Amino acid sequence: MRSLRREPALLLALLAVVALVLVFIVYPQVQVVVAPGSGGYASFLEGGTWVTPFVHSLEVMALSTTSAVLLGFVYAYAMVYSDMRWKPFFRLIGILPLLSPPFVVAASYILLFGPRGIITYGVFGQTPIIFGLLGIWGVQTIAFFPFAYQLIADALSRSDARMEQAARNLGAGPWRVFRTVTLPLSRPGLGAAILTTAIYIVEDFGNPQLIGGQFTVLPTQAYNLISGFGEFTSAAAVSTLLLLIALALYLAKIRLDGGRSFVTISGRASSMPRPPVPAVLSWACFSGSLVLAGVILMVYGTLLVSALTVLFPINLAPTARHFTFVVTGSNGDALRNTLVFSSVAALVSAIFALFAGWLVQRGDWPGRRVLDFLLILPAAIPGIFFGIGYLTAFNQPWLDWVDRGALIILSMVFWNIPVGYQAAVAGLRQIDRSIDEAATSLGASRLRGFWDVVRPLLGGSLRVGFVTTFVRAVTTLSVVIFLFTPATTVATIRIYQLVNDLNWGGATAFTVADISMAIAALVIFAALARGRLALGMARG
Amino acid sequence: MHLRVSHITKRFGSAAAVDDVSFDVPKGSFATLLGPSGCGKTTTLRMIAGFYEPDAGDIEIGGRRVNDLPAHRRGTAMVFQDYALFPHMTVYDNVAYGLRVAGRPRPERDKRVNDTLTFVGLGGMGGRWPNQLSGGQQQRVAVARALVIEPQVLLLDEPLSNLDAKLREQLRVELRILQRRLGMTFVYVTHDQDEALSLSDWIAVMNAGKVEQAGTPWEIYYHPRTAFLADFVGAVNLVPARVESVGDGSVTVSFGPHRASVRRPVDVSLSTGQEVRLCMRPESFTIAPAGASANGLALSGTIARRAFLGDTMRYWVKVDDREWIVDQPDPGATETLDGAVLLSLRPERVHVIAES
Repeated sequence: MRSLRREPALLLALLAVVALVLVFIVYPQVQVVVAPGSGGYASFLEGGTWVTPFVHSLEVMALSTTSAVLLGFVYAYAMVYSDMRWKPFFRLIGILPLLSPPFVVAASYILLFGPRGIITYGVFGQTPIIFGLLGIWGVQTIAFFPFAYQLIADALSRSDARMEQAARNLGAGPWRVFRTVTLPLSRPGLGAAILTTAIYIVEDFGNPQLIGGQFTVLPTQAYNLISGFGEFTSAAAVSTLLLLIALALYLAKIRLDGGRSFVTISGRASSMPRPPVPAVLSWACFSGSLVLAGVILMVYGTLLVSALTVLFPINLAPTARHFTFVVTGSNGDALRNTLVFSSVAALVSAIFALFAGWLVQRGDWPGRRVLDFLLILPAAIPGIFFGIGYLTAFNQPWLDWVDRGALIILSMVFWNIPVGYQAAVAGLRQIDRSIDEAATSLGASRLRGFWDVVRPLLGGSLRVGFVTTFVRAVTTLSVVIFLFTPATTVATIRIYQLVNDLNWGGATAFTVADISMAIAALVIFAALARGRLALGMARG
Repeated sequence: MHLRVSHITKRFGSAAAVDDVSFDVPKGSFATLLGPSGCGKTTTLRMIAGFYEPDAGDIEIGGRRVNDLPAHRRGTAMVFQDYALFPHMTVYDNVAYGLRVAGRPRPERDKRVNDTLTFVGLGGMGGRWPNQLSGGQQQRVAVARALVIEPQVLLLDEPLSNLDAKLREQLRVELRILQRRLGMTFVYVTHDQDEALSLSDWIAVMNAGKVEQAGTPWEIYYHPRTAFLADFVGAVNLVPARVESVGDGSVTVSFGPHRASVRRPVDVSLSTGQEVRLCMRPESFTIAPAGASANGLALSGTIARRAFLGDTMRYWVKVDDREWIVDQPDPGATETLDGAVLLSLRPERVHVIAES
């Protein structure tokens, strides 16, 4: 602390960071939590309307997490351990869902399995009721198993191939090695992967909203209370309940793996190959992956075909009219808004997170543990809660002069802070402290040292933070659903509205356009980073 | 005094990494903090640099208290063990960095950078990148980068320990010549006693956060005050003994059946009957086959083991149930010894440590 007092500029910078974190991360959340007041909570708990969505949320979380993790594990095991063919293809397919708003799976599901779905009605002539628990379960399984796959693959590939080689060398068979070496070593990583998947699922708003029907979960309940009934107090209480679940999962996860919430696939090749697995297993892996990749392709292929045909699935004549629809008028504005808001938010978020990461990682002042916690906290905050927080805190008459676009950008910046922050911290761990100290001992203030020496060396972290935040920003629905105005609509909002209007051509074309932006960002990034891929998890 | 460290203490948690350490370093001298890892030497250096805040005590440079100055205003440049070159800057830009921060005009900067690079033997290498240089060259860049800003005190934190033995020796010589030529004050941290002995004007040996002894390399090597010191700085025979009588400038001691009159250590009080230790360096002995005539103190023994070290032959000789380490220089000049031998040693080569 004394060292800070000797450098007033650094102290000011730190105070500015703390102030921004307090205003844009802590304050809105506290507003939501305290909004109902003790009386509000008492009558809310007595009223009992929360019980059904609460139980539903837990049910959905348990079911979907289990199935998504199982499928994800199969895909991950196949990618990391088997020497099956087509791995680059499977890797690409596995990335695709991360670049799209998760709730478009629900849209595709309706097109495939709905009352007029091409499979249910077209092939079997059935008009089943797909809405409700089974629908949500199915959709979330498909939507989130690729996320589980990325997290599990990351955990598995962390286990040291040398240990497996050593175990094989000592005479253990592949299964025994997996059971006695690989699994025990990657248990914390696997546990964290499961918990993270559970957070994504319990926070998911778009899928249950589109397909849940009468089956409400906490995020949809919170949304409906506000948008349908203007019941703000109850909505705050419901989303606080959701926050508690997410926070509990998140704290458990931190205990396991120390706070990594976002997968970074760096494409780093392990220097030592994994011991070979039997050919039969490789073939089983290949078949399993093929089926799963097929499902993903079917989901997104359906969206693409629908976007390119007149009236899917009744009239399959090719047309560009849906794309014309998407780029004209207010729809074009929404696309442009998405691009502008997400770019600005990603840039600001990545830079701010980099600086904050440096302050925390290299600082010696008291309270930096607290700031560290606050900077990763948004990773545990459900998007719907974050959105309600911004609505409560900043949608005030005295703040009318604030541009609504700026508010959306701010929400994207601070909701995504953990992405850039963790990228920065990971990057800083690669840079020895003596590099900073060398600059200081040569006469540069610590701020100057950061600018001259640390910042240029963290280009990689900055890019990871930027791209991941950008992707998350273009694919989020829940954070912005309370903040948009007609002039500041974004693509995900329009997709959601068009699905509700049953304008499938427009909705799917919008989805294709939205995903294309994410893909373009990733391709540019990959080109900049010379083939190194880094992906973050996008959430509804 | 140019650098004055008075009563500094640094605690990490409840453990004191540096515990009430004081020393003075005159201008233009080469001072070394020597000690095993964890002894507090690097922590002390980092407090001088301003990277750590002392919990107590003062640090003065050039007569000015610098405790309240941030690291970048102290006029101390540091050379790091891992070089800490800026990987995104060329050699020239690395060396120029301090001058650029200080806002020196371009012509002056160019001249000083090029002069310094030439000075450390890297003339014409300014356009290279750090990763194109060998370890020795990188460390030369790191030294140049620190020298060029003409710091009041140059701090070096184990700068040679990442280099291989041959290069280490060569750079050691270069560093010493460089320091002499510049007349700059160096504070050097190392765990390597050879480095400390060969480089320094003055050494402070640290142990467990305290300075055990400070003095010239000669004093440290031949007149260590504690057994720890004797053992840490080179190989040594530490033999328990008893003070028989204390004379003027000499002291008579007995160990086993032997009795010898040896030099009395200054500023240490000894009394008759006191248990002490005798410190004898392996190279102080003469070793000869049994039956040879002795010169001074004579000890008969049997060779237990030996190791050929190239420049010396090291013998472990059993004398009265105790193994003594004895070095014979230039082993090629004589026959390798075996069996019964006679060790002899001039009494003034025996140093008394008042610690049992």
